[in-house]
Amino acid sequence: MRKHSSALLTLLLLITSIHLSAQYQSGLKVTWIEPGAGGILPEFDSFDSIDGTLGVLNAKGEVNTDQHPFFTPLGTNGRACVTCHQPSWGMSVSADELRNRWNITSGKDPVFAAFDGSNCPNLPQDKESSHSLLLNRGLFRIPLQWPPRNADGSPKHVEFTIEVVRDPTGCNTSAEYGLKSANPTVSVYRRPRPVANLKYVTAPGPAIVLKTGMLADVDPETGKPVSMNLMSDAREATLSTQAISAIMGHEQARVAPPHNKLEKIIDYESQVYAAQAAHIFGGPLAVQGGPPGLGPAALRDHKPGVLGDNDYDPVFGKFDAWKGTEFYRSSIARGADIFMFRQFWLRDAAHINSIGLGNPLKRTCATCHNAQMTGQDLSAGWVDVGTTNYPTWNEPATWQESSELPVFKITCARDANPHPYLGRVIYTTDPGRALISGRCVDVGSIVMQQLRGLAARAPYFANGSAKSLREVVDFYDRRFDMKLSDQEKTDLINFLGAL
Amino acid sequence: MRGTLFLALLLIAPVLLTAQQRSFVACPIVRDTKTVPCFLAEYNGELYYLGIQQDITSEFHPPQLKHEVLVEGRVVEGPRVCGGIPLKPPAISVIKEVNLSCNTLLPAEPGIEAPPAERPAGPSTRHAIAARAPEAPLTGVHEFTALYAFDDDYLDFAANRIVTEAAAYARRIAASGVKVTGYRATSLLSNGSRMVEKPGLAEKRAQDVATVLRGLGVTNVTVDWKTEAEPADGASDPARRRVTITITP
Repeated sequence: MRKHSSALLTLLLLITSIHLSAQYQSGLKVTWIEPGAGGILPEFDSFDSIDGTLGVLNAKGEVNTDQHPFFTPLGTNGRACVTCHQPSWGMSVSADELRNRWNITSGKDPVFAAFDGSNCPNLPQDKESSHSLLLNRGLFRIPLQWPPRNADGSPKHVEFTIEVVRDPTGCNTSAEYGLKSANPTVSVYRRPRPVANLKYVTAPGPAIVLKTGMLADVDPETGKPVSMNLMSDAREATLSTQAISAIMGHEQARVAPPHNKLEKIIDYESQVYAAQAAHIFGGPLAVQGGPPGLGPAALRDHKPGVLGDNDYDPVFGKFDAWKGTEFYRSSIARGADIFMFRQFWLRDAAHINSIGLGNPLKRTCATCHNAQMTGQDLSAGWVDVGTTNYPTWNEPATWQESSELPVFKITCARDANPHPYLGRVIYTTDPGRALISGRCVDVGSIVMQQLRGLAARAPYFANGSAKSLREVVDFYDRRFDMKLSDQEKTDLINFLGAL
Repeated sequence: MRGTLFLALLLIAPVLLTAQQRSFVACPIVRDTKTVPCFLAEYNGELYYLGIQQDITSEFHPPQLKHEVLVEGRVVEGPRVCGGIPLKPPAISVIKEVNLSCNTLLPAEPGIEAPPAERPAGPSTRHAIAARAPEAPLTGVHEFTALYAFDDDYLDFAANRIVTEAAAYARRIAASGVKVTGYRATSLLSNGSRMVEKPGLAEKRAQDVATVLRGLGVTNVTVDWKTEAEPADGASDPARRRVTITITP
């Protein structure tokens, strides 16, 4: 009898999955918004994502994109903000879709603009290989002035020297674009961050940053402290400064956008919420009586700036309602418990272990991913978890290892505080926050990303090094020796995919 | 006779106090337990208990593997904790240079238990961080003191709170003067050697605190620092690594 029940259940699940699968496949729609195309975005829309659908909610109602500065080119290369922040891809863009765009447009889409949509502007732009980082990892070139500048334009004091020891893109050693060019520039390659759920990302923290013991950056217009959680390196203080920088850089505008256009961009960005809405097997995720933190409406309704590293009001709410239910929802609930409660040794993570918590620290994922609803850090969130630094590398090793990314050698000054776990010589593919702060302790530190809408916007990490959520989980399992079982990995992946 | 005895006791007391003092540099040792890990360090063949993993708001900030630690504390009478002789209050200074040989993480063992922790190893169970006991509103000239780890200019959570409180007071009374004075110090180790904080640190500490105060809306800030390192006595050395903020109404 038990055997028959089990077979029946399996059959039912199979039928359900085929039915839902067909439903989702029939829902395929045009998913790329062309800059300047005009049109109406509904209040709520859903898009296919890995194993389900992503929900995008415009909290202020439908959006007319005609002449809207977020959706209209403001620069010279045909791009608009929407080029890299597509609703269908979690307000970011996936590497798969970029590949698709390459194939559809033969590489002519503005997203492949030579300036930063190729590995380096001086490469032959018609060749796929010149855009390999964008096509393979979804990475845009981020050219950063070197040395970094203070607010008044003067060069910042930098605690280290930077050398290019490998340069597969050719940009960092280029006479025109490189570190030794007339305008010394460091090119790093990073994923575009989602422009959604931004009330959480921009929720201001305390005036003194716990990680530095110094003042937080301030909004140049109001003088008030900002979150320092925007961008991979916290280089932009506000949505306004970010928009100006992106329009002047990524869109290659000749003049900064006028105030009214900036306001409209920020108004749109501040009301759009994106999160996974349904799963191919699990059905709708935001359901009455279910976990309260799922789906984009929950993001709209929740308060930003709340610490969730506790057992009574956790980061993404409680998942108890799904414990012991059908297999997918049970798996999500178990994944939530792993995220909140599964202890492991957090070791050698600069700006976590080094700020007075001790090394090692016996804690959980929620220790660092502690901000309710997004899983960022409530404090200014740059941390070196080891996605860009290579602790075991030395100069000969950099030639033996393969890397699609440039490799820099950082040598810290004798009077500077060294990197807390890598010392004074560090090999890295992206110095991260250190390129802005000039501090040795910041080398390789990257601002944590929000964990919403993940299923729509692979690959992951700032350098696109994890192609899938499985690779993300595998990275943490290796990095912190978590000893996750296969079931635990699956549960964590299902949980992350449901956010 | 009684006067002589009293005098003798007065003379002996500092010696006894110093005898109980432990100041040394060593690799920390981490001992796992079924709850939170204990942090220990060995000196002269004896194991000392430093503290347990807590929250960022705790007074004890644990040391770090991959770094030596300067331990400055006083032996406390009583049973061993986590296998070590307890020190109180242990001032912990992480030596900045990486030392890969500091890498001992011991597994949990039956019979070795950590003292009760305010926060478990997982997420917090406290609904709110305990508020500090209310104090009488400050009036008049007041001096705030922010303490530092050895050779460090980092304003940790506790020092950060002191500076924030000082700023709030200065703003509330519209202070006519806020004098920030930075110090660097010396540590007398139990083996008789001395460690002196680096030159320039007193100025760096003072300037950083002044910058923070100004950023918090404090005006009339003047900055001073002592170029000479404070002397060491092997007992109160951690208290001399400081910045004082003197606020005048």
